[in-house]
Amino acid sequence: MARDTTELSRRDVLKASGTAGAAGLAGLAGCTGGGGGSEYPPIGNYPVEGDEVVFGFNVPQSGSYSQEGADELRGYNLAKKHLNNGGGWVDSYENLSGNGVLGKTVASVEGDTATNPDTARQSAQRMINRDNAIMVSGGSSSAVAIAVQKLCQSEKVQFQCCLTHSNDTTGSECVRYSFREMFNAYMTGQALAPVLAEEYGENLKFYQLYADYSWGQTQQASMKKFFTEVGNWTQIDSVPTPLGTSDYSSYLSDVPSEETDVLVLNHYGLDAANSLPQAIEQGLKQDMEIVVPLYNRLMAEAAADSIEGIFGTADWSWQLSDQYSKTFTEAFRNEYNKVPSYAARLAYSQTVQYAAACQRADTFYPPEVIKQLENHQYSNAGLGAETMRKCDHQAQRDVLVVQGLPSDQQTESKLLRIVNQTSRDKLGYACDAGPAAECSLGPYGGENN
Amino acid sequence: MIPLQVDIASILLNGLQQGAIYALLGLGLTIILGTMEFLNLAHGALYLVGAYVGLLVFRETTLTNGLLYSFGVTTIGFDGGFLAALVVVPIVGFGIGLLMERFVAEPFYDRPETDQLLVTFGLALIVEEIIKNVIGGNTFQSIGPQTIFGFNVSQPVALPVVGLFPSWRLFIIVIALVIIAVTWLAIERTDFGLVVQAGTRDSEMVRLLGIKINRSYSLVFALGAALAAFAGLIGASIQTLSPQIGTDRALLPAFLTIVVGGAGSVRGAIAGGMLLGVIVSAMTQTYSQWAQIVLYLFVALMLIVRPEGLFGSGEVGE
Repeated sequence: MARDTTELSRRDVLKASGTAGAAGLAGLAGCTGGGGGSEYPPIGNYPVEGDEVVFGFNVPQSGSYSQEGADELRGYNLAKKHLNNGGGWVDSYENLSGNGVLGKTVASVEGDTATNPDTARQSAQRMINRDNAIMVSGGSSSAVAIAVQKLCQSEKVQFQCCLTHSNDTTGSECVRYSFREMFNAYMTGQALAPVLAEEYGENLKFYQLYADYSWGQTQQASMKKFFTEVGNWTQIDSVPTPLGTSDYSSYLSDVPSEETDVLVLNHYGLDAANSLPQAIEQGLKQDMEIVVPLYNRLMAEAAADSIEGIFGTADWSWQLSDQYSKTFTEAFRNEYNKVPSYAARLAYSQTVQYAAACQRADTFYPPEVIKQLENHQYSNAGLGAETMRKCDHQAQRDVLVVQGLPSDQQTESKLLRIVNQTSRDKLGYACDAGPAAECSLGPYGGENN
Repeated sequence: MIPLQVDIASILLNGLQQGAIYALLGLGLTIILGTMEFLNLAHGALYLVGAYVGLLVFRETTLTNGLLYSFGVTTIGFDGGFLAALVVVPIVGFGIGLLMERFVAEPFYDRPETDQLLVTFGLALIVEEIIKNVIGGNTFQSIGPQTIFGFNVSQPVALPVVGLFPSWRLFIIVIALVIIAVTWLAIERTDFGLVVQAGTRDSEMVRLLGIKINRSYSLVFALGAALAAFAGLIGASIQTLSPQIGTDRALLPAFLTIVVGGAGSVRGAIAGGMLLGVIVSAMTQTYSQWAQIVLYLFVALMLIVRPEGLFGSGEVGE
């Protein structure tokens, strides 16, 4: 580990002395206030000193995913604004007042992950050590989310996953200090397989290409599992492609077009923005169906001419008509003059959900906040009823199956249509099954452990 | 499984297509390096500029952020089609090359190579950031045409042995090979080329013979820049565009190409580019996870076994 233990111990000493000081003052004044309360021992960046509580927003601000990061930041900053001044979801959350969190104004620091796990970890470390962030949120890559949540577990600072879809995030790599509302590759398989089996038929043969890192590996494994189980499909081959490949022609040349019925491109974002159009150029769509399991706006925009009829899944869509989706979309549009991507909703939701949990716990003390989130049932995040499961910190929620619109029906903000909102009752897995079977959350820390 | 001869045919075809772009990139870099002994790390930026100028000429593009967008500009581009881009992009690249030679390269000809590296790398970053800030960091769709010279190139063609192959990529091979051939002829068979080649060997002697070598330097630099910009246009016709592509897709392949082919050698750039293209294509199609490893191993072995490259006269960077 490259962690600077000297710095940490100095910080711990300062924290401890700060708490001792606060406790002394409390003894004198007989008053502590919710956020800085001393009823719990110091842990991570608890207690929160001063009038402000700092959230760390760790998103890609440079590199290929900077646009997605920018939309996440819009979501985070909108949440911060609403938490401090009211508006959006905050007005309808009974625990939130629009007057900060536990009497403290929400401040934030921003970091650049550059979609690189090492850079992301360093950035999060700075947020924790230098800026005293009580919570860090971010994502846009599962490799990044996994690296940062590991750090957060060891630093005892809460991590709220934003965009991360790998099974590992809440499976083999899960940690106590991290929660994920986004669905995962396993659920994508569960949601897509029945739709595709009905659309394309049963007993088909499929061929997969997948991005060779955490997300792509779990994504292709999940597709294989559910295509085989649900549609009785047979896999011909599954071929890894390096993350960030821009020319897939050689991989696509190797697809046996005679025998392949369905080509699954397990590529996310810009990888898919290249692989999908190139597959179509190569004429593969004439011989087979093509599926891109996970859509995002970046990819839909950068491959707009190629997405017609292509099925995939998405976390959320501004086109949803429930009260919370509409409220968020309207607030976002008023603030930024554009509709939010699902990455922006995830960012917004993570921040608001965390703040509400602190309010319910009546403290920023991380173990208590975690307990508030564990098994928390809610239906105020735009996706109907959700449960943040205790055993693996994975939200059990609905998943949208979407399809690309033809070019002539696309508008700047609408590139996809919602085919199906698959109910959470048809998705997920037990705590001792699927990715959750590999999850061991680790300690709460503090006085509980 | 796919028969072996199909594999080999498609490996060669894909390799040729990829290699043609590598060769264009390596060619531009190598004539600048060979003639002026100037290491141009902004070569990728010229590729980037070529891609974006191509985008502007080729179609109208909707902006969603960036400086122009903040000034109320929501669409940019002339919607002039790909043929117009084929003409405009090399001209713009040529013009930028002339300016770059005069204002960036020339003051650094007699400075150490590290200075040249720093100033051109800095320039590459500046160009990347300017594009990102003005047009936005969005990734744009590739700019492949539907038709060219009356041919429909949006559909794949059925080739013997290989089967379906994107017809636009066949055109790319043809166009790139034509440009490479013209460049080769210009360097090998014209008076201008003779001066350039003589300048590569001994620029002082060329000056003493009364030839204005500086003018040739400008032209060579501009030609190299035009080739890089052209490669950018070709690259952007099959792959998405974003401000990062200059470094990722152009600079590195260009350097690998001249390491293999030999610094300063036109034939080397062509052979090196093609060889690398076929290696990448063959490995990708057979043992994809080894593709990058084998590529760099091959280049490393070249540096050890034959540091002057396939057709180079001296060691790289010498």
